[in-house]
Amino acid sequence: MKRFSNLGRIAMVVLSINIIFAIISIFLPSSFYAEPCCDSFISPSLHHLLGSDDLGMDIFYQIVHGSLISLLIGISTAVISGIGGSLLGILAAYKGGKTDSIIMGVCDVLTALPHLPFIIVLSVFVGSGLNTIILVISLLSWVGPAKMIRAKVMMLKNEKFIVAAESYGGNFFYITFVHLLPQVFPMVSVSMFKIASHAIIAEASLSFLGLGDPTSKSWGLLLNHGISFPGIYFTDYWKWWITSPLIMLILLILALSFIARDFEMILNKKL
Amino acid sequence: MFKKFLSVAILSFCTLPMFASGINESTNLIDDTSQSKVLHLAGGNVGTLNPFQHMNRGPGIFRTFLIFDTLLEKDENGLIPWLASSYTIAEDGKTYTFHLQENAYWQDGEELTADDVKFSIEYYREHTPVYNQLVMNGKFIVDSVEVIDKKTVKIITDEPGVAYLEHLGYFAIIPEHIWSDIDDPRSYDGSDRCIGSGPFIVESYSATNGTYRLIANENFWGPKQAVDAIEWIPVSDANLAFEKGEIDLTTISADLISRYENNPEYTIKKVPALHCYRLMMNSETREEFTDKNLRKAIAYAIDVDDLIQKIDRGSAFVSSQGYIPNNSSYYNDDVIKYPYSREKALELLDGKEYSFTLLTDNSSSSTKLCELIKLKLEDVNIHVDIKAIDSVSRDNAIVTGNYEMVVVFYGGMGGDPDYLSNVYGASSNYIKGWSNEEIEELLNKQSVEFDDDIRRDELNRIQELISDEVPMYLMQGAYWNFIYRPNTYDNWTTRYDHNYLSHIKLSYLLRD
Amino acid sequence: MKRFIIVLFAILTINFLLPRLMPGDPFLTLSAEDGFTSVQYSEQEVQDLKEYYGLDKPIATQFIEYYANVLKGDFGRSIFYNESVNKILLRKLPWTIFIVLSSLLIGCIVGLSLGILSMINRNKNFDKVFYTLIITVSEIPSFLIGIAFLFIFAANLGWFPLSGGVSAFTEPSFSLAYIEDILSHAFLPIITMSIPSIGQFYILSRSSMITIISKDYMVTGKAKGLSKRRLNIFYILKNSLPPIISRVFLNIGHLFASSILVENVFAYPGIGTLMKESVLKRDYPMIQAIFLIIAMLVLLMNYLAEFINGKIDPRGSKYEKIQ
Repeated sequence: MKRFSNLGRIAMVVLSINIIFAIISIFLPSSFYAEPCCDSFISPSLHHLLGSDDLGMDIFYQIVHGSLISLLIGISTAVISGIGGSLLGILAAYKGGKTDSIIMGVCDVLTALPHLPFIIVLSVFVGSGLNTIILVISLLSWVGPAKMIRAKVMMLKNEKFIVAAESYGGNFFYITFVHLLPQVFPMVSVSMFKIASHAIIAEASLSFLGLGDPTSKSWGLLLNHGISFPGIYFTDYWKWWITSPLIMLILLILALSFIARDFEMILNKKL
Repeated sequence: MFKKFLSVAILSFCTLPMFASGINESTNLIDDTSQSKVLHLAGGNVGTLNPFQHMNRGPGIFRTFLIFDTLLEKDENGLIPWLASSYTIAEDGKTYTFHLQENAYWQDGEELTADDVKFSIEYYREHTPVYNQLVMNGKFIVDSVEVIDKKTVKIITDEPGVAYLEHLGYFAIIPEHIWSDIDDPRSYDGSDRCIGSGPFIVESYSATNGTYRLIANENFWGPKQAVDAIEWIPVSDANLAFEKGEIDLTTISADLISRYENNPEYTIKKVPALHCYRLMMNSETREEFTDKNLRKAIAYAIDVDDLIQKIDRGSAFVSSQGYIPNNSSYYNDDVIKYPYSREKALELLDGKEYSFTLLTDNSSSSTKLCELIKLKLEDVNIHVDIKAIDSVSRDNAIVTGNYEMVVVFYGGMGGDPDYLSNVYGASSNYIKGWSNEEIEELLNKQSVEFDDDIRRDELNRIQELISDEVPMYLMQGAYWNFIYRPNTYDNWTTRYDHNYLSHIKLSYLLRD
Repeated sequence: MKRFIIVLFAILTINFLLPRLMPGDPFLTLSAEDGFTSVQYSEQEVQDLKEYYGLDKPIATQFIEYYANVLKGDFGRSIFYNESVNKILLRKLPWTIFIVLSSLLIGCIVGLSLGILSMINRNKNFDKVFYTLIITVSEIPSFLIGIAFLFIFAANLGWFPLSGGVSAFTEPSFSLAYIEDILSHAFLPIITMSIPSIGQFYILSRSSMITIISKDYMVTGKAKGLSKRRLNIFYILKNSLPPIISRVFLNIGHLFASSILVENVFAYPGIGTLMKESVLKRDYPMIQAIFLIIAMLVLLMNYLAEFINGKIDPRGSKYEKIQ
């Protein structure tokens, strides 16, 4: 933490706030953000920090809950893509030959596909629940880690300690988990932050277009509701209904990017 | 040098959209003289205005019918003569003879004759128009058409039916001299593809911009038009556009009524939308729903007034469980009502607990509605899992029966009450796993009962039975709150089967 | 080259399969939006429509026909719009191309200029701040910036129209008024989309030029006595071009994808809004056509980027082969 840049430290603060919100949200009764608390469109007040939306639901608590959703999506996608991608990358590099060609071929196709249109079309196919969105984004994001890991493992493959382990009878899994993964992990963690950031952007984009999960109270959905409310330009409501999810999204995405960047710097310095 | 290149580049980029606008359309420069009365409405692209090329949503249908005529028209109370100045129905209930207007002409000058009517029907038999009134319950209702003389045509239907007149009276008549050679009407792009006999002519249409300009047909056989031209323009926010005077009519949400109501500059007209939210229950997937008490309990457990407040902001009314809405002349007030009562619901449930999935589309109003329903049902120990999917899939699920409970906002509640057969009749598969012999019998009877009094009795009985069965729970029917400036234009009117003011042909015509 | 053909084939196949695997039959709709009537089709009519759209034939036949049609350039007929897909695409594509190319141009020019500025001032304090600022702003997803712009400049201040490509009933002409109209509608979307590009070109040009400046041949140039000005701008720019040019192509791909979101924010009549609508309505022919076009464009751009990179900078291509 000491070696973080100033921006990185601010980013950690933002991330921590979001984590705190998420934890609070787990213990918060759903009535706070899922049920109307008062009249619609009340202005921010002490009791309702950000006022209420068109249904009379407290916006502040919806934002708090949104942190949980965003972090959930970010972490799940990062973990699934990170682990899945790493394993596949290691597999491709280690086994080589046909396995490698197939995995690389799939990577090429997935890289060539434009992500957002593909996510849009896929999410319609598999439904728009949160779980499916996470799966779909992971399906596209594992390519990054996989390629990186593969390159690294190809270099490591011939290192003496690997050859030694093999000659001692270590099988694929042993070598993967005990020797390769720890070497590879730092690289993966940097890209995991980036994947998390992309996942949150993807979910926000989908929800904003109206193609996401309508029962989740994600920030993207709040934006969608706000913008499509008839007569929104007439009124002052947008000042808190639209700006709050907008700012939260921007802050979290930037925070994750900066943390990733700092991690990368630290990593490169180490090397 | 670089600057020159830059400006040329920018200019050429700007011309790109121009080519887009210019392709495949005829756009004319409008010269708006101060004498002419032009109405401005919010629009969007609904396709080319002929029976085969408009988009299959409401606005497309109604705008096309301003260009084309039908045998009969619809006003606030019922059917009125239109292209057919008079008609007779024979004793057998199957033979309809229509006498056409003497001075009816097509917009290209040709005379409109009975041959055109016969041609239209036969052409529709082979080439399905987008909005096809000549098909009921999956079959084409016309057996044969005979041209008696130049202005008289005889149509023989496959069966006698009280509701047939409404359908026979409302299909668009197309000109034989234009369409008889066309094999693929959907791709026909001749310049005469929008020639009808109706009160308005398509002067310009731009699919890119979603704009239309219709002008009054000088040689129209019928009532004088109340405007010289109607323009539809796309707007990003209808309320804003209305306030700025860009458009002359729009609907507003109940919240905004107070903003305009005491201002004599504006008139607010509240009309029933003839669409309501329904909660459907599928007895085929969940046998529990065959228990009438469960269905009634669910009806009592849901607080519709609360829904009206929260979802429709007060702009809705409690639907009748007899299906026919309370503004129809056929409405029977003696149906059973289910005002919110948790106690009655618990009583009927008799201590049982249930758990169901509730399907909905992913619009914000439907999901909010379902969340409120879920809260109330949980209150009486019915556990609900909400599943939100897109509206197309939800509609599919309703048709295929792939749901346990589903909420849908749907219409089909205007016009001749024979629509009850589509919902509750023997041949209907709308409500899965439910049927009632007595209701089906009565429905069959009323559909061929030409004696009005007897028919009304039968319909009353049907509504009472339906309200007792509650095979699906009808929650709230929506209102539309229209607002317009009476000084600019106030010829708006409704129809007995449809109340969207700008859709109605007679809104644009002067009647005596 | 072979790699690209395989990927193309894969894209075409995915494109064909996806809409068909989607739940939701476009002909089985019941309800309509906003309480408007929607047309209900009888079974016979559904059958006729399916025949018309070729949806009733076995999958294999559909597949072959699809490929044949795509090669011919026939994308079928839109179920929702009731018009041929090609016509609709020809109407909407120019708008998207217009804002994409404009954003690219602006992104490139402004990004490079800022990069040059930064390189010249690279040792000053303010450069570090500037660098951080630009990076920060370009990391923000463009549609979020777009929403902010929409509310601040269009709704609140009223400087720009809220939506659309052009005002209603204006006739296309070469008049100043028409061009002004188009530009005022396109201004916000273009600015929104160019911001990430500006950021990318800035970073790229800056780092590329800084690297070059310390290279040997620069010292040689200086030694030769070339004037400082000539050395600075033309030499450096020329030598840092390769990655910039390939980035231009890559960027086009990204811009098309981001235009999907930005167009929806501004209700701009391009293929972005078209895609959202057709997905909502299950308009298979349209969804397939748009997805195919975007995918092929991105693929083409990636290929061109690699190709040009290889041609311009032979050193670079050697490294690639090793990889």
